[in-house]
Amino acid sequence: MALKHVDAVVIGSGAGGGIVAKELACAGMKVVLLERGRWVTPADCRKDDLRNQRTSVLGAPFGPDDEGNPRVYVDLQGREHIVYPSRGAYHNNAMCVGGGTASYGAMAWRFMPQDFKMRSTYGPVEGSTLEDWPISYADLEPFYEKAEWELGVSGDDGPNPFKGPRRRPLPMPPLPPNREYEILKPAALRLGWHPFDIPMLRNSVPYDGRPPCMRCRWCVGFACEVNAKNGTQNTVIPKALATGNCELRTECVAREILLDHKGRARAVVYHDRDGRIQTQPANLIVVSCGAIESARLLLNSKSKWFPNGIGNNHDWVGRNLQGHTYTGAIGLFPFDCYDDLGPGASIAICDFNHGNPGLVGGAMLANEFIRLPYQFVQRVQSFVPKSWGKPFKDFMRQWYRRSIMVQGPVQEMPMWEARVQLDPKVKDRWGIPVARLSGRKHPHTLEVAEYISQKAELWLREAGAIQTFRRVPGPELSAGQHQAGTCRMGKDPKTSVVDPYCRVHDVENLYVVDASVHVTNGGFNPVLTIMAIAYWAAHHILKAHRAS
Amino acid sequence: MRAAVLSIPISGIAMIVGAAIAYQATGGRSCARCHEIQPAVDLWNQSTHRSVPCAECHGGLFTFEFHFHWKNFRQLLRHLAGRVPQQIALRERREIDRAMAACRRCHEQEYARWQAGPHSVTYRQIFLDEQHNRKRLLMDDCLRCHGMHYPGNIAALVTPVDTRGPWRLLDQEMENRPTIPCLACHEIHRRGQPMGPQRRPRRAGPQQEEFRPSLALFDRRTQTHFSVASMPVPQVYDNGRPLVMSRDPRQALCYQCHAPLATAERASGDDRTCRGVHEGLSCLACHEAHGQDTRASCKNCHPRLSNCGLDVETMDTTFKDPASKHNIHFVQCSDCHPKGVPRRARGERGLAEARRALD
Amino acid sequence: MSRKHTLSRRKVLQVTVLGAPTHFACRRERSRYRFFTAREAAIVAAICDHIIPPDDFPGAVQAGVVNFLDLQLTGHYRYLQQAYRRGIAEIDAAAQEKFGRSFLELSPDEQVELLEERQKTEFFRMIRDHTMQGYYGDPRHGGNLDAVSWKMLGIPHPPVRGRDHYSLEES
Repeated sequence: MALKHVDAVVIGSGAGGGIVAKELACAGMKVVLLERGRWVTPADCRKDDLRNQRTSVLGAPFGPDDEGNPRVYVDLQGREHIVYPSRGAYHNNAMCVGGGTASYGAMAWRFMPQDFKMRSTYGPVEGSTLEDWPISYADLEPFYEKAEWELGVSGDDGPNPFKGPRRRPLPMPPLPPNREYEILKPAALRLGWHPFDIPMLRNSVPYDGRPPCMRCRWCVGFACEVNAKNGTQNTVIPKALATGNCELRTECVAREILLDHKGRARAVVYHDRDGRIQTQPANLIVVSCGAIESARLLLNSKSKWFPNGIGNNHDWVGRNLQGHTYTGAIGLFPFDCYDDLGPGASIAICDFNHGNPGLVGGAMLANEFIRLPYQFVQRVQSFVPKSWGKPFKDFMRQWYRRSIMVQGPVQEMPMWEARVQLDPKVKDRWGIPVARLSGRKHPHTLEVAEYISQKAELWLREAGAIQTFRRVPGPELSAGQHQAGTCRMGKDPKTSVVDPYCRVHDVENLYVVDASVHVTNGGFNPVLTIMAIAYWAAHHILKAHRAS
Repeated sequence: MRAAVLSIPISGIAMIVGAAIAYQATGGRSCARCHEIQPAVDLWNQSTHRSVPCAECHGGLFTFEFHFHWKNFRQLLRHLAGRVPQQIALRERREIDRAMAACRRCHEQEYARWQAGPHSVTYRQIFLDEQHNRKRLLMDDCLRCHGMHYPGNIAALVTPVDTRGPWRLLDQEMENRPTIPCLACHEIHRRGQPMGPQRRPRRAGPQQEEFRPSLALFDRRTQTHFSVASMPVPQVYDNGRPLVMSRDPRQALCYQCHAPLATAERASGDDRTCRGVHEGLSCLACHEAHGQDTRASCKNCHPRLSNCGLDVETMDTTFKDPASKHNIHFVQCSDCHPKGVPRRARGERGLAEARRALD
Repeated sequence: MSRKHTLSRRKVLQVTVLGAPTHFACRRERSRYRFFTAREAAIVAAICDHIIPPDDFPGAVQAGVVNFLDLQLTGHYRYLQQAYRRGIAEIDAAAQEKFGRSFLELSPDEQVELLEERQKTEFFRMIRDHTMQGYYGDPRHGGNLDAVSWKMLGIPHPPVRGRDHYSLEES
């Protein structure tokens, strides 16, 4: 039995979906927001350093459960592995109300103008599907601003000469500096770089009725106990619900999108929390499930118009899966660097995002969030001569408080071969074929990573590190929390999945609004860009809706 | 059919009787395995309360309270299914109530003081305080110090979680329950020597308190107690100057909730670290441990008159009048003597008076 | 009294009588552990203490790491039970092969020598990682007793951290 017809269904309540739902609901549309996870609160993971979004060795409290939610991962040798959310290679992004924003580190970066024009800035890169975005920084600027002010961003990017022009400053000042900041800032200035306070979706002063950060040590990977970290779950979603126009249905897993006889999106079929199949008809459907799950949903929605999945007639859905190649260095210092002031990450430079000789793109570099003891073990294990026994215990004692880590997300060269497919055999708890991830990083990405890690090392050395270890990841696929690219935005339906307004080519009322649409993923944490695109898309959805 | 129906209550009774015999015979050791409480029993065996039988605090088997038996039965089922609890804690409010009633039976005086003092504040008083709720958004962190045993999150406790109200507790039964029960600051199963008559200090007082092994904070996040000895006492600053901190380790407990902000500045957050004339004093120098009452405390150090020759209790401080602008925690000589402390008042007369009072 | 009746009465008795002995069955002393046998636990303890040896701060065993492993192997790490059984047996077999004695009979130096030879094996990497989790991870999981490793590293716990609620000026 079909449910009551509504104006719009938004699938996924993360950075993209939460904002679209709020914009549509505030404009008076009746919206159903489907979320496969639950409301997750700080009480659910209680600052557990072995069971959080970053270190999930004892479980992934922000979802999904290990049971019933497998994926298939194909490694570089072509071997298949069935993987689970709490273990490696799943490339998990949280699945709960707010999505990744409920537990993220909350860096709020705007991409730089060049990040939208990678192909025309650098020319083609062999073996990569590197392309320009169909929209520019100037198009998104007002929406970046809207995201910064509606959700709340603190920081000060004034001293960053590389940023794109902004009309309005950030709404909140940065948090007072921590010790790492004080150590790294003069060093960067000595090197002739341009350090500044990282913009963060985190209250430094009371904002929008929520209190400021209390600076505890458990930040990235955890839900905030004082609500100072701004995700969609404590900002836009409550506003959407307060309008009375938005109904949030949690623990509802979308199965497929149905088209009508004219090839328009007609309804979403989903499993409700009791596993029953429901059909929710709507005028408009927005897919915001994250790059892996959005692609999976489109691929699972087969029809006579789209025998290989919606929007996939040119085989672009699921392609160009990318994340970030995190690279950097750890420095050991002859003095204490640890001051127990969360979130830890505080200072950044954008000197190496672009203009690196002979290289395409680059990365922002910033000091890392507070590394909890077991995280520190994981980080240093591969560098030390012996990762156990008395020498390692001594290493921990000597260096835990005397280390700084600087790292950055290297912009990846998109790869046609890095992709999300449907696995022909493995199905999830509801019998839906699961995502099958395969592919690798582009070799040039690793060259850039090598270069960036040298800069990180240089910074730490200049700051007084007596020993440094560089960290450059291997060529394996990277997706995970910064997953992007699988439903590329473009003007030509033959080489992209959605149009510049996030509408799926050839389906006039179906939108994909999340990082899937990113053509390239910038050298930055992508969340603010996802939010800006959500505001941008919502703006155009409302224009189109009002016109019709 | 009738056999099956009959066998349920009969085997239930048989189980209870059997359990009672087993408990009597082995003093709880035999219960531990199937109820998966071995670590708790091990700890109890080494604790100050080792001579107090389990049933004294956790309830005896011969009771008509359905929940008691139901809880035990579920523990058995979990044991048989091989589902080992990852942590052992008193979770249900009935169990906490029962434990508190047990505390009261022996520690009547302390219980009475607690009940009369501010730490017996109830959920209603904390979470339905209009004045607070209009100004400050309720959040999970509130539960860190008030209601640390509450199993859910703030949205499961109070509605609505906003600054408009009107607020109510979702479960009315919670309203009059204490937010800071005995178990907030005491771990009963903590290692220690029983306090026999031979070990008891001759005069009851702070000295006796100091050696109480049970002093431990119940940390809501980890759902475990941390002993007072393992907890930090922060260095607090007065405009960047490190204050003299009392070396009383018991304060570590107070600082967990009456904590300064991340800046560690005096009087920030809920900090009351003394500056000025009382700098370096422990919280417990003036505040009675259970009732927090300070009424009789001045006399400990100022037997009759202050060093200035005045009756300290009548001086213009928040001790005399909460509206005073001289907070007793932060009052300095220069507050009343902006031009410097007069030599005479500080010396001779005041001291002579004080000495006479001491004699 | 019909035959049918006596039968059902016997049934009642059977079910009833079954109840009581279960309690006495529980009195039997078995391994203190839930997953490990006493012998396995002893081997694991020896390995853990080589991974994080005691010095002026407790080693892995004293910090409760064996309890952590045992507990987690009945919880989230249930899927690794066989890997542990096999891994422990392999180490013991390797000791037999190299020294002609079981792992527990080796001197501490011989044990370390054996582990060093095997430090690239999957099992050793796993138990090393899990030992680190038990020792440096949260006490709630059964290891890191009284947050002893955090104290060693110099991280105050629980942290003293207030927040802006009623400030003195306002009240």
